[in-house]
Amino acid sequence: MSPTADPASLFRSWLEDHRGIVVKVTRSFAAAPADAADLEQELLLQLWTSLSSFAGQAKPSTWIYRVCLNTALTWRRGTARRAQHFDPAADVARCAAPTASPADQAGDRELLEKLYAAIQSLPDFDRALVLLSLDGLAYREIADITGLNENQVGVALTRARQRLARLMKGVTDELE
Amino acid sequence: MNWNDYASAWQSQGLPAGAPADLTALRQTFETRRRKLAVTLLVRDLAETAAGLLVAAVFACVWWHLGREGWPIALAILLILGVSGCFVRERLRTRRHRLGPDAPLLVRLEAEIAELHHQRRLLLHVWSWYLAPCAGAIVILLATLGRILVRRAPPDFFSRLGEHPAPAAGIVIYIVIVLPLFFWGIWALNRRAVRQRIEPRLAELEQLHRDVLAPATDHAASSR
Repeated sequence: MSPTADPASLFRSWLEDHRGIVVKVTRSFAAAPADAADLEQELLLQLWTSLSSFAGQAKPSTWIYRVCLNTALTWRRGTARRAQHFDPAADVARCAAPTASPADQAGDRELLEKLYAAIQSLPDFDRALVLLSLDGLAYREIADITGLNENQVGVALTRARQRLARLMKGVTDELE
Repeated sequence: MNWNDYASAWQSQGLPAGAPADLTALRQTFETRRRKLAVTLLVRDLAETAAGLLVAAVFACVWWHLGREGWPIALAILLILGVSGCFVRERLRTRRHRLGPDAPLLVRLEAEIAELHHQRRLLLHVWSWYLAPCAGAIVILLATLGRILVRRAPPDFFSRLGEHPAPAAGIVIYIVIVLPLFFWGIWALNRRAVRQRIEPRLAELEQLHRDVLAPATDHAASSR
């Protein structure tokens, strides 16, 4: 953090620029609206609490992803809400992300709802990888956030994508 | 539909504007939690250290009453203080190894696995750093008391004891049955905690770690 930066204004400006990260992580890790509100609050609190530890070595977005993903993973482990295991046969078609935004385009909204539901059915680390990849981050950035090297990111991401594809199979046929 | 379609939909999703973060509320929540955590940690640390100091003080008091002959109790006091020292060292170690929330995910996962292995080791070996020193301290205290009692007791003490055996029997039962049962209970509870809480969690995290780092060939084989 810049020594002259006022933490409150820095936090506000980061939230304006990167609010999407908080929302997407929340929606990827919490299914029920009450859980989502709880997790979002937790993410904001953790970001605020950790602001003083930001040394400026990473991009703000990378740092925010790290804090949010670590917090979400810890939050899931600490609650009984988590899904028990990855289930490749999970019926994504019947799941819906209840916090879908009304602003979403109608055509994409259903796809997004299914996508969020599928992501919620993935194992924890795969969720993080898929989310980062869907957000268009390069392997280098994903490696920075996860601590994997780029080759490992490639391998793990391929696997996560295949799992996601299995979960989305049928759903996309329906949408097409 | 393929990955690019998902990514395109994902990146163009309209995110709910939501209420802007209420900084005042966040600060209040943060302060409340920080205070609560600080009090909890202080109470826990003080309780663990104070318990050891209290027992050591009681032993010291007994030693003072017994005079020079009670010198072995000094060893018992050292053992009790050693146990307290283990608790303090453990707290310091935890603080030293704590990772920030902005650590890379894999580093954090590996740190969590290492911490669970450490806790597992501590609980499985609770006899070595907790039970044995405490039991040793009690044995030293009782042996010293017994030795001094035999030496200082009036000549008819043991014959009178035979006439009223209940108190002596109570003490013997306490030493031979209650105390060992108590220590066994602590040992068993620790093993149960390892079995029911730490090992499943460890297995889950190690599986996650293996999955993340599994080479592509492993996955290709497993997905066939």
